[in-house]
Amino acid sequence: MSEFIRKKICEGVAFSSVTDDRFKIGRQSATLIVPLSRENAAANALLSCVLSRSCREYPDFTALSRKLDSLYGAALYPSVRKAGENQMITIAASGLEDRYALDGESVSQELAELLCSIIFDPDMTDGRFREENVEQERRQLIETIDAELGDKRQYATKRCIELMCRDELYSVSRYGSREQVEALTNDELFRAWENLKNNAQTEITMFGSTSPDKAYEGFRARFENMPRKPVGNYIKQITPDEVKHYTETEELAQSKLVMGFRCLGTNDGKEKLENALMSAVLGGTPTSKLFLNVREKQSLCYYCVSNVQSAKGIMMIDSGVETENIEKTEKAVLEQLSLLQNGDITGEELGNAKLALKNSLLSSLDSLAALQSYYTAGILTDSLMTPAEAAEYVGSITAERITELAQKVQLDTVFSLVGN
Amino acid sequence: MGFTRIENKRMNEHYYRMEHSSGLTVIVYPKKGFRSAYACIGTKFGSIYSQFDFNGKRVSVPDGTAHYLEHKLFESEDGDAFSKYAKTGASANAYTSFDMTCYLFSCTDRFDESLKILIDLVQSPYFTEETVAKEQGIISQEIKMYDDSPDWRVMMNLFKGMYHNHPINIDIAGSVETIADITPGVLYECYNSYYNLHNMVLTVVGGVDPQEVLDIVDRNIKPSAPVDTRIILPDEPYGVVTDYTEQALPVAVPQFEFGFKEDSTGKYATNRELIATSILMNAFVGESSPLYRRLQDEKLINSSFGYEYLEGLGYRAVILSGESRDPKAAAEIISEAVRDLHRNGLDREAFENARRVVYGKQSAGFDYKQSIASELINCEFTGRKIFDSCDAIADITLEEVNGRLAKQLDADNSCLSVVKGIDGIAE
Repeated sequence: MSEFIRKKICEGVAFSSVTDDRFKIGRQSATLIVPLSRENAAANALLSCVLSRSCREYPDFTALSRKLDSLYGAALYPSVRKAGENQMITIAASGLEDRYALDGESVSQELAELLCSIIFDPDMTDGRFREENVEQERRQLIETIDAELGDKRQYATKRCIELMCRDELYSVSRYGSREQVEALTNDELFRAWENLKNNAQTEITMFGSTSPDKAYEGFRARFENMPRKPVGNYIKQITPDEVKHYTETEELAQSKLVMGFRCLGTNDGKEKLENALMSAVLGGTPTSKLFLNVREKQSLCYYCVSNVQSAKGIMMIDSGVETENIEKTEKAVLEQLSLLQNGDITGEELGNAKLALKNSLLSSLDSLAALQSYYTAGILTDSLMTPAEAAEYVGSITAERITELAQKVQLDTVFSLVGN
Repeated sequence: MGFTRIENKRMNEHYYRMEHSSGLTVIVYPKKGFRSAYACIGTKFGSIYSQFDFNGKRVSVPDGTAHYLEHKLFESEDGDAFSKYAKTGASANAYTSFDMTCYLFSCTDRFDESLKILIDLVQSPYFTEETVAKEQGIISQEIKMYDDSPDWRVMMNLFKGMYHNHPINIDIAGSVETIADITPGVLYECYNSYYNLHNMVLTVVGGVDPQEVLDIVDRNIKPSAPVDTRIILPDEPYGVVTDYTEQALPVAVPQFEFGFKEDSTGKYATNRELIATSILMNAFVGESSPLYRRLQDEKLINSSFGYEYLEGLGYRAVILSGESRDPKAAAEIISEAVRDLHRNGLDREAFENARRVVYGKQSAGFDYKQSIASELINCEFTGRKIFDSCDAIADITLEEVNGRLAKQLDADNSCLSVVKGIDGIAE
């Protein structure tokens, strides 16, 4: 496996690659990052679906699917996520490595060209995307948004974040709102496309055994005269003044409890790892404080997990419990947090969490998909380390630092989805 | 007796297999250049093993016992396995399915210590009234979580709609009521019947050496004498129970699973049968198919639409699933297409196209340690061989796929399971 190599194409556009011949499937992606915006989030999200559906050369869903089939079932996956208060639109592609192709074709080059066409040569006439493609993807995106309501764990966490960050951009959903998706016009999509193409901070990746040179040249030719400013990376540190409680009821067998905390917000690679380790000690592993006490000792739940989002400065803890145990669980979680804040962390607890985090970082080296998502998630991280460097750094973090970071954790909002 | 090396030149893959003198089947699948390793011990005992003969005695256990046993095996007299793994840094887990239970870990360091923990875990049962009772609260919450899961409910309801008697129609974790009847005695009985090394497989995939694995097994395994254990399955008629079943849950888009029950033949499917079904289904419902296009144009499916083949001892069915505003309309179009398919058969172009797709998907599986390990275990328990599928893709014929079709997708033996919204919430 080669080193991770990152080359600048122009200001705000980079191409990164890892050459690795251990796998049968190679992976490529294009990630476009813009500041999260209440007005544009929906257009960007819908655009990513419309673009991945077809392109000028393969101008409808069936034609593009046939092309992908002929490349041994290659696949395109559009996805949208939030990275702090930025929106990240990724179109990923995966396909068989060239040496396994039965007819000697270069699947990787064809996929790279396809990815480039999808972004730059969409299926449009006179500045308008083909109407049937827009309508089809609009309907499907609305169904995706609606379907999020069906996964109660996901819904409860999303709702808690919305309520906690209601006056912050972070409350904007990654897909925008259902109403916005419904109302989007073809013109708005066109403007979103122009904006993403010309202004988004962009990262192209190519991971696999094929030399990335040709693909690099292809993307460079498209981007070199289109410099743009990298997105801002500023995090506003918020201190909650009082704890807010919200409750909704639904016909459910199990109630969901989500606790939203403020914590250190940071884009620094090292501080992100420190936050991750703090969260692992508290509630990230089967030997964490939450697992051992809330689940094993008190048998209150099947899961009680903490999850830190450093780029926003929040930590979410969520659990599924009996309705009559909601308060008891909340109290039990706060007790464990308070222990951590008071420096109650044994060498064993810290050691276990470090080993778990190191294991997860180093495991990513054996999967191109994991490696790609590690680097994509890290695009906005300052001084991002390789997984191996990160694992080494984790080993050096002290218990004092964990206590210090735990002390920055403050409860902001509690959301209960109560079953009846 | 040492390892046998088994290889596939086409895929450039190989592994080592042996039947260890203890009774355990050991498979080591080295992945060159990998730093991590994934190990899994599987036992051929899952939720459908609710009735069996053990040394001539008939045993029936409460629903959810196999899964409960999986939870409790993590505890032994000298502490719980998670704490032991925590000291090696391995990420450990376990799962119970309809027909097996698997215990696994993945690590990047101190493999030998973790493998010892795994071997000890399945060989040191320790169940007391107190430890068994403690798990009730945790598993009850796990069950309730699944009760609220539309994905899970729509699937279980389908199995209940398709199967009259086969225990695949019972939730893997049982219910809050049935697990209350599980005692240490029940757990020991199942343990003694099925956690016998002759009924178990160890697979290790990743940056490991076969001899290293063997040395650790040699040092830590406690040999077991074979036992006579036989699963008792009730007779299952060919026909489904009902052609439609629904449940209301707080969802905003209805979910469906549309199952086509087929003759289970009483045997596990062969590699060739599975590959034929994959090719058939990719051609029939893949994204480039006319059926996918029609369902999409009529706004009846979205990108969640797909198929799976359900297959095990005494059950076989093709299942199409997804989210849909109108599952009944989607099912009607699918049934009509199924009838057309039976009339016309698959054509050569669609066959060749799908074969390429299946070849790509099959290749992808070899990139993932977990998928290799679980496929190897699956193969051991079903008499299949992992590389036979690769060979089947290369030489399977259109006639063979059409021959397979003749035994599948019976439009008159289907069941549609729907989870719809609760009135006032859904549209």
